[in-house]
Amino acid sequence: MPIVVNLDVVMAKRKMSSGELAEKVGISQANLSILKTGKAKAIRFSTLEAICKALDCQPGDILEYRERE
Amino acid sequence: MWNDKKSLQLSKLFILIFMVVLVATVVTAPWITKRFINFSRAELMGTERYFLATIYTGFLPAAYLLYSLLRLLQRIEAEQVFIAENVERLRRISWNCFAGAGISIISVAYYFPWIFVAIAAAFMGLIVRVVKNVVAQAVALQDEIDYTV
Repeated sequence: MPIVVNLDVVMAKRKMSSGELAEKVGISQANLSILKTGKAKAIRFSTLEAICKALDCQPGDILEYRERE
Repeated sequence: MWNDKKSLQLSKLFILIFMVVLVATVVTAPWITKRFINFSRAELMGTERYFLATIYTGFLPAAYLLYSLLRLLQRIEAEQVFIAENVERLRRISWNCFAGAGISIISVAYYFPWIFVAIAAAFMGLIVRVVKNVVAQAVALQDEIDYTV
């Protein structure tokens, strides 16, 4: 998919673990893993909002559009 | 009290009854055919082997169709409804109906009333095909919901 999820990078910058982020956002670790591995087909605005709040970042820091090769 | 579980059990029972009827038809086919020809129309004399060929050939899609229906119900019972395997099952059921229609169409050559069986089977195949398309869309939607975070 041309939308790339850079959650790993932002989490590493903030030194936040998956468990901690999942707890702060209020989603399961399994769902967070789906998001991190790029398997997710959609993300709710409420989830995106909670992630941005927890990581103190913008949606653009997490989601990136890349042209298909 | 009537519920979904009992409804599924009833559907399974009907499938099992149809399976028994199918096997009984195949086993007694020579006798049934002989009786039918002797007590119906004189011009059917000599077509016994064609009737047997139709019954034995038709047994294959009919048996596979009933088996597929049973597998489909077992998956629904296990609460696996909107999955790709069920779409594939429905597709096979549909093609089995069309196969039955094809066999009946060929059989029209020696006994015209087979045309009604052919039309009914083709119509059934068409209905199942439309249901398959609907379920395929439902599977895609379910997939999207499952992967929405």
